[in-house]
Amino acid sequence: MFEIRVLEPGTIRLAGRLDASEAERVAQELLAIQGSVRMDCSELDYISSAGIGVLIELFKRLQSSGHTLTLVNLLPRVRNIFRYAGLDRLLTIE
Amino acid sequence: MVARTFPRNLGALEAIYAFHREFVAACGIDPEVAYDLDVIAEELFTNMVKYGRGGRREIEIELEWAAPTLAIRLRDFDVERFDPTAAPPVDTSRPIAERRAGGLGIHLVRQIADRIDYDYQGRDSTITVTKKVVSS
Repeated sequence: MFEIRVLEPGTIRLAGRLDASEAERVAQELLAIQGSVRMDCSELDYISSAGIGVLIELFKRLQSSGHTLTLVNLLPRVRNIFRYAGLDRLLTIE
Repeated sequence: MVARTFPRNLGALEAIYAFHREFVAACGIDPEVAYDLDVIAEELFTNMVKYGRGGRREIEIELEWAAPTLAIRLRDFDVERFDPTAAPPVDTSRPIAERRAGGLGIHLVRQIADRIDYDYQGRDSTITVTKKVVSS
Protein backbone atom coordinates (compact mmCIF):
# COMPACT_ATOMS: atom_id res chain seq x y z
CA MET A 1 0.00 0.00 0.00
CA PHE A 2 1.39 3.36 -1.01
CA GLU A 3 -0.02 6.86 -0.55
CA ILE A 4 0.87 10.38 -1.55
CA ARG A 5 -0.35 13.10 0.81
CA VAL A 6 -0.15 16.83 0.18
CA LEU A 7 1.19 18.49 3.33
CA GLU A 8 1.22 22.04 1.97
CA PRO A 9 1.69 23.57 -1.47
CA GLY A 10 5.00 22.27 -2.84
CA THR A 11 5.42 19.62 -0.15
CA ILE A 12 4.13 16.07 -0.28
CA ARG A 13 4.63 13.01 1.90
CA LEU A 14 5.25 9.55 0.48
CA ALA A 15 3.96 6.76 2.72
CA GLY A 16 4.16 2.99 2.43
CA ARG A 17 5.87 0.81 -0.14
CA LEU A 18 6.79 2.08 -3.57
CA ASP A 19 7.32 -1.17 -5.45
CA ALA A 20 6.63 -2.70 -8.86
CA SER A 21 2.96 -3.27 -8.05
CA GLU A 22 2.42 0.45 -7.35
CA ALA A 23 4.85 2.10 -9.78
CA GLU A 24 2.50 2.60 -12.70
CA ARG A 25 -0.31 4.09 -10.61
CA VAL A 26 2.10 6.36 -8.72
CA ALA A 27 3.74 7.55 -11.95
CA GLN A 28 0.30 8.65 -13.14
CA GLU A 29 -0.45 10.46 -9.88
CA LEU A 30 2.88 12.28 -9.95
CA LEU A 31 2.03 13.75 -13.35
CA ALA A 32 -0.07 16.25 -11.39
CA ILE A 33 3.14 17.79 -10.05
CA GLN A 34 4.06 20.71 -12.29
CA GLY A 35 6.47 22.70 -10.12
CA SER A 36 9.31 22.27 -7.65
CA VAL A 37 8.44 19.78 -4.95
CA ARG A 38 9.77 18.68 -1.61
CA MET A 39 9.06 15.03 -0.77
CA ASP A 40 8.92 14.03 2.87
CA CYS A 41 9.99 10.37 2.90
CA SER A 42 9.71 9.80 6.66
CA GLU A 43 6.91 7.28 6.09
CA LEU A 44 8.35 5.72 2.95
CA ASP A 45 9.02 2.22 4.30
CA TYR A 46 10.43 0.66 1.19
CA ILE A 47 11.51 1.40 -2.35
CA SER A 48 12.76 -0.84 -5.16
CA SER A 49 14.12 -0.18 -8.65
CA ALA A 50 10.56 0.30 -9.93
CA GLY A 51 10.00 3.10 -7.42
CA ILE A 52 13.40 4.61 -8.12
CA GLY A 53 12.48 4.64 -11.81
CA VAL A 54 9.31 6.60 -11.07
CA LEU A 55 11.24 9.23 -9.13
CA ILE A 56 13.94 9.45 -11.82
CA GLU A 57 11.29 10.17 -14.45
CA LEU A 58 9.71 12.81 -12.22
CA PHE A 59 13.11 14.39 -11.60
CA LYS A 60 13.88 14.53 -15.33
CA ARG A 61 10.50 16.06 -16.14
CA LEU A 62 10.80 18.73 -13.44
CA GLN A 63 14.40 19.49 -14.30
CA SER A 64 13.55 20.00 -17.97
CA SER A 65 11.14 22.77 -16.97
CA GLY A 66 13.53 24.40 -14.51
CA HIS A 67 12.01 22.91 -11.36
CA THR A 68 13.56 20.90 -8.54
CA LEU A 69 12.87 17.69 -6.63
CA THR A 70 14.11 17.47 -3.05
CA LEU A 71 13.85 14.34 -0.91
CA VAL A 72 13.91 14.73 2.87
CA ASN A 73 13.75 12.50 5.95
CA LEU A 74 14.66 9.21 4.29
CA LEU A 75 14.80 6.14 6.50
CA PRO A 76 18.30 4.59 6.53
CA ARG A 77 17.22 1.51 4.55
CA VAL A 78 15.59 3.70 1.89
CA ARG A 79 18.62 5.98 1.76
CA ASN A 80 20.78 2.87 1.25
CA ILE A 81 18.78 1.97 -1.86
CA PHE A 82 19.40 5.45 -3.29
CA ARG A 83 23.08 5.05 -2.41
CA TYR A 84 23.31 1.63 -4.06
CA ALA A 85 21.72 3.13 -7.17
CA GLY A 86 24.28 5.97 -7.13
CA LEU A 87 21.48 8.51 -6.83
CA ASP A 88 22.43 9.95 -3.45
CA ARG A 89 25.03 12.05 -5.29
CA LEU A 90 22.74 13.07 -8.16
CA LEU A 91 19.43 13.86 -6.46
CA THR A 92 18.99 16.49 -3.76
CA ILE A 93 18.59 14.51 -0.54
CA GLU A 94 18.45 16.29 2.80
CA MET B 1 14.42 -24.44 4.73
CA VAL B 2 10.94 -23.29 3.79
CA ALA B 3 9.48 -23.09 0.29
CA ARG B 4 6.27 -21.53 -0.91
CA THR B 5 4.76 -20.86 -4.32
CA PHE B 6 3.26 -17.58 -5.48
CA PRO B 7 1.08 -16.68 -8.45
CA ARG B 8 2.96 -15.25 -11.42
CA ASN B 9 1.77 -11.66 -11.07
CA LEU B 10 2.82 -8.52 -9.22
CA GLY B 11 -0.19 -8.82 -6.94
CA ALA B 12 1.73 -11.60 -5.19
CA LEU B 13 4.33 -9.19 -3.79
CA GLU B 14 2.38 -8.48 -0.59
CA ALA B 15 2.24 -12.21 0.21
CA ILE B 16 5.95 -12.55 -0.55
CA TYR B 17 6.80 -9.74 1.87
CA ALA B 18 4.66 -11.44 4.53
CA PHE B 19 6.50 -14.73 3.89
CA HIS B 20 9.83 -12.97 4.56
CA ARG B 21 8.61 -11.50 7.84
CA GLU B 22 7.27 -14.81 9.01
CA PHE B 23 10.58 -16.49 8.17
CA VAL B 24 12.95 -13.96 9.81
CA ALA B 25 10.79 -13.93 12.95
CA ALA B 26 10.87 -17.74 13.14
CA CYS B 27 14.65 -17.76 12.71
CA GLY B 28 15.30 -14.91 15.18
CA ILE B 29 16.93 -12.78 12.48
CA ASP B 30 16.94 -8.96 12.74
CA PRO B 31 13.55 -7.89 11.29
CA GLU B 32 15.32 -5.23 9.22
CA VAL B 33 16.81 -8.05 7.12
CA ALA B 34 13.33 -8.75 5.77
CA TYR B 35 13.61 -5.52 3.74
CA ASP B 36 16.74 -6.85 2.04
CA LEU B 37 14.83 -10.02 1.20
CA ASP B 38 11.97 -7.88 -0.12
CA VAL B 39 14.24 -6.04 -2.57
CA ILE B 40 16.00 -9.21 -3.71
CA ALA B 41 12.76 -11.14 -4.19
CA GLU B 42 10.86 -8.27 -5.79
CA GLU B 43 13.56 -7.57 -8.37
CA LEU B 44 14.05 -11.23 -9.32
CA PHE B 45 10.36 -12.17 -9.13
CA THR B 46 9.42 -9.18 -11.30
CA ASN B 47 12.02 -10.25 -13.87
CA MET B 48 10.53 -13.73 -13.92
CA VAL B 49 7.00 -12.37 -14.34
CA LYS B 50 8.11 -10.10 -17.19
CA TYR B 51 10.58 -12.34 -19.01
CA GLY B 52 9.85 -15.95 -17.97
CA ARG B 53 8.35 -17.03 -21.26
CA GLY B 54 6.18 -20.11 -21.19
CA GLY B 55 6.35 -20.52 -17.44
CA ARG B 56 3.85 -22.23 -15.19
CA ARG B 57 1.31 -20.20 -13.26
CA GLU B 58 3.37 -20.17 -10.06
CA ILE B 59 6.92 -19.27 -9.02
CA GLU B 60 8.57 -20.91 -6.03
CA ILE B 61 10.50 -19.02 -3.38
CA GLU B 62 12.64 -20.92 -0.90
CA LEU B 63 14.31 -19.41 2.17
CA GLU B 64 17.12 -21.04 4.10
CA TRP B 65 18.97 -19.93 7.22
CA ALA B 66 22.26 -21.49 8.24
CA ALA B 67 23.73 -18.83 10.53
CA PRO B 68 25.20 -16.51 9.53
CA THR B 69 24.16 -17.17 5.93
CA LEU B 70 20.70 -16.44 4.58
CA ALA B 71 19.76 -17.87 1.20
CA ILE B 72 16.79 -17.05 -1.00
CA ARG B 73 16.10 -19.13 -4.05
CA LEU B 74 13.56 -18.33 -6.77
CA ARG B 75 12.56 -21.07 -9.16
CA ASP B 76 10.59 -20.57 -12.37
CA PHE B 77 9.37 -23.84 -13.87
CA ASP B 78 9.20 -24.81 -17.52
CA VAL B 79 10.52 -21.55 -18.95
CA GLU B 80 12.98 -20.48 -21.59
CA ARG B 81 16.40 -19.56 -20.28
CA PHE B 82 16.66 -16.05 -18.88
CA ASP B 83 19.72 -15.23 -16.82
CA PRO B 84 19.43 -11.81 -15.16
CA THR B 85 22.91 -12.19 -13.70
CA ALA B 86 24.29 -11.87 -17.24
CA ALA B 87 23.09 -8.26 -17.39
CA PRO B 88 25.97 -5.78 -17.77
CA PRO B 89 26.84 -3.70 -14.72
CA VAL B 90 25.02 -0.39 -14.27
CA ASP B 91 27.25 2.65 -14.52
CA THR B 92 26.07 4.60 -11.47
CA SER B 93 28.37 7.50 -12.35
CA ARG B 94 26.28 8.47 -15.40
CA PRO B 95 24.30 11.72 -15.21
CA ILE B 96 20.71 11.28 -14.12
CA ALA B 97 19.44 12.54 -17.48
CA GLU B 98 20.95 9.41 -19.04
CA ARG B 99 19.60 7.04 -16.40
CA ARG B 100 16.90 4.49 -17.04
CA ALA B 101 15.38 1.99 -14.61
CA GLY B 102 16.42 -0.94 -16.81
CA GLY B 103 19.13 -3.06 -15.21
CA LEU B 104 18.86 -1.25 -11.91
CA GLY B 105 16.99 -4.12 -10.25
CA ILE B 106 19.75 -6.70 -10.64
CA HIS B 107 22.24 -3.99 -9.71
CA LEU B 108 20.45 -3.49 -6.37
CA VAL B 109 20.46 -7.26 -5.79
CA ARG B 110 24.21 -7.34 -6.45
CA GLN B 111 24.72 -4.51 -3.96
CA ILE B 112 22.72 -6.20 -1.20
CA ALA B 113 23.84 -9.79 -1.73
CA ASP B 114 27.16 -11.51 -1.24
CA ARG B 115 26.62 -13.98 -4.04
CA ILE B 116 24.18 -14.67 -6.90
CA ASP B 117 24.07 -17.95 -8.81
CA TYR B 118 21.95 -18.82 -11.82
CA ASP B 119 21.11 -22.37 -12.85
CA TYR B 120 19.05 -23.65 -15.78
CA GLN B 121 18.20 -27.35 -15.95
CA GLY B 122 15.28 -29.22 -17.48
CA ARG B 123 13.63 -25.91 -18.46
CA ASP B 124 13.65 -24.79 -14.81
CA SER B 125 15.30 -21.45 -14.09
CA THR B 126 16.74 -21.05 -10.59
CA ILE B 127 18.41 -18.04 -9.01
CA THR B 128 20.04 -18.40 -5.62
CA VAL B 129 21.11 -15.34 -3.66
CA THR B 130 23.07 -15.57 -0.44
CA LYS B 131 23.87 -12.96 2.16
CA LYS B 132 25.70 -13.10 5.47
CA VAL B 133 23.75 -11.44 8.27
CA VAL B 134 24.11 -10.99 11.99
CA SER B 135 21.39 -12.74 13.99
CA SER B 136 19.77 -10.57 16.67
